[in-house]
Amino acid sequence: MVKRNMQKTLAIGFSVVMALSLAACGNSGNKADESAATNAPKSTNSANSGGNAAEPAPDSGKKVTLTFQNIYPDPATPSHKMINELTEQYMKEHPNVTIELDTLNTDQQKVKLKTQAASKEVPDITIVNPAAQMKPFVDAGLFAPLNDMLDQNGLKDTYQEGLLDYYSFDGNVYALPDGNNIEVVYYNKELFEQAGIANTPTTFEEMLQDVKILKEKGITPLAIGEKDSWTGSFLFMNILLRTNGGPGFLQDVLDGKKTFEDPAFIEAVDAFQQLVQAGAFPDGATSIDANAGGNIFKSGKAAMWVIGSWETGAIDASSVAGKVGAFQFPTVNGKGNPNEFMLAPGSAFAVSANSEHLAETKDFLNFFASNLPKKQFELKNAVGLGQKVDGDLKAAGYSDLAVNIAGLFNQVQGGDLAFDNTMNPATAQVHLSSIQNLFVQKVDSAAVAKEHQQAFEANKE
Amino acid sequence: MKVLKVPARTIAVFVLPCLLLYVCLVFIPILVSVYTGLLKWDGLSAATFIGLGNFKDMFLNDPVFWPSVKRTLLYAVASMVEIPLCLLMAILLNRYLRRGNTLVSIYFTPVILSVVIIGQLWKTVYNPTSMGGMLNGVLVSLGLESWTHNWLTEPQIAMYALYFVSLWQYFGYHLLIQYTGVQNIPDELYEAAKIDGADGFKADRYITLPLIVPIFKISIVLAFIGSLQAFDLVMVMTAGGPAHATDVISTHMYNSSFGSFKYGYGSAIATFLVAVCLVFTGFINMIFNRIDRKFN
Repeated sequence: MVKRNMQKTLAIGFSVVMALSLAACGNSGNKADESAATNAPKSTNSANSGGNAAEPAPDSGKKVTLTFQNIYPDPATPSHKMINELTEQYMKEHPNVTIELDTLNTDQQKVKLKTQAASKEVPDITIVNPAAQMKPFVDAGLFAPLNDMLDQNGLKDTYQEGLLDYYSFDGNVYALPDGNNIEVVYYNKELFEQAGIANTPTTFEEMLQDVKILKEKGITPLAIGEKDSWTGSFLFMNILLRTNGGPGFLQDVLDGKKTFEDPAFIEAVDAFQQLVQAGAFPDGATSIDANAGGNIFKSGKAAMWVIGSWETGAIDASSVAGKVGAFQFPTVNGKGNPNEFMLAPGSAFAVSANSEHLAETKDFLNFFASNLPKKQFELKNAVGLGQKVDGDLKAAGYSDLAVNIAGLFNQVQGGDLAFDNTMNPATAQVHLSSIQNLFVQKVDSAAVAKEHQQAFEANKE
Repeated sequence: MKVLKVPARTIAVFVLPCLLLYVCLVFIPILVSVYTGLLKWDGLSAATFIGLGNFKDMFLNDPVFWPSVKRTLLYAVASMVEIPLCLLMAILLNRYLRRGNTLVSIYFTPVILSVVIIGQLWKTVYNPTSMGGMLNGVLVSLGLESWTHNWLTEPQIAMYALYFVSLWQYFGYHLLIQYTGVQNIPDELYEAAKIDGADGFKADRYITLPLIVPIFKISIVLAFIGSLQAFDLVMVMTAGGPAHATDVISTHMYNSSFGSFKYGYGSAIATFLVAVCLVFTGFINMIFNRIDRKFN
């Protein structure tokens, strides 16, 4: 009898443990719900009080710790150095302020921020992506408007025309972008030479041909880390931009003018599958994260890398420096204009509306954003900056690659934003894993299109 | 043992604080979670009440849900496979080794390691040949090249690769539990049995097995319920990918809540998971009550 009671107690005990661990994931709901109402006015309050916030922080000598969530984890990259040097400089000038860097991979950061947002605990400064990706946060009143702070020290005028629009809602700017980039194809000239490829491909068919040649020579044709599923999507969107004959496919879907079952989308999926089937990507690509994927290229093991121009500085700081060139994504089946690019108007720094130290945070961010272009220029990472910077790249000793990319910027005739910057998060998630699936198995392209369309319709607002 | 004769007030003093904690930390969150499951809510903005809509979506329209349930149940079943093995090993260790403790401690090492470390370790073991994966390396050197795989990225086998790591990790844990159980059986019983002519495995059949049942049950419940909630290892190694091939209920819940911004829907999945855990706990209890009755 006693034994049985013991067992019962044990059984209850286990279910407690089990329930506890579940509850930890699911419970913050109601509380957050209640505070949502009280939060909205709070954020406007803080906007008002932010009026004097952007002025040099009152040197009250009060010890303040700010958390700066960021996505520059690789110590070999100039961006990593930039953020460390700027925060250190600020802390030196403001001994009462400590800035803690919470450094994460892009995908990890996205998920962490969402988790924190669900419990209204957004770090003082965090990273967001433009447009559709940051809209839910802004709607929930989690970010502080930065208009007042932008007017301080002429910070606003440093940004390129129109760039801040991607981060503005209802006339308020909610985040400051770290760059304004385009997606290009980097290639390793040495490996191309080894494989006997004289010219960079200008059509998708040539690209496929090159992939096959490289593969035969035992060289990984295209570097990618597809565990972070945005990487595959970003590449795929290049193809869609071509098969659609120009930008605006996703906007047309949003406007109800097209569906994902449009021939252009199916054609893009088919073309992408051709790449996969040709063995363009590294083995086990879906188990490699984006950083490690980039390192395949930066360590000279892969011939091409389709990624944003923000990697220029990192490539110049890596072991393949000097051997790398860049070209536009080729036309697909004779369609598209190579001078239309996938556009990446930065990832941006946003300030938590609920920050305990809003004034100090804004003051720091003002310092940070004002000094960012100069610092990036010094670190030879100025390609794709979202802010104007004085100085001649060539004279400052920039690489041929950097000059080459800067030249590509001048050819931009428009383009598209990434999928998850355009579509709502739920549809984007379906898309991301759908594209990830193409890496591991052959799928009927019509089924992929249908999956997209169903997800879009189910999650439409 | 008789029930202690103490005034109810005294009992209340000792029990109430725990009961309060239990209600606050367990019951209320579960109820809140169940309620959140009835909302259409992104976790940030205002929520709308949609009744059982999330559950309907989950059961009928979500192509990821049922496969993830199947994988989770398989996980739980697979986790139990090793427990009889552990028992056998515990019996052998106890019988033939004088210092079995050292060995058991060694087997226990993986349990102490953080899951993140274990995940990273096995990720490198499972890597493709081109990335120097050890498992494939061993297979190649044995001349079994055709057996090599991209263990974590081939949808058909990735989940089994995860099951194995989990078994590997908890082997020492269950071994320790079983070993302690076996050691606690008094030697006199075996001596008496020996006199009656029951030795070796015969003694195990009639003495060890019946006496180890409660311990065995602890192992089973821990393994089963633990696997139903498996999360960390999957998250570290594959994050449910590629393309949901290794999604279990808990990762699907997490990805829905925080990846797709469907917090209400994630809560509905959590509610389902609680229900599944409760049902199986009851089920296991029922089976063991039967076994108990048989032996007594």
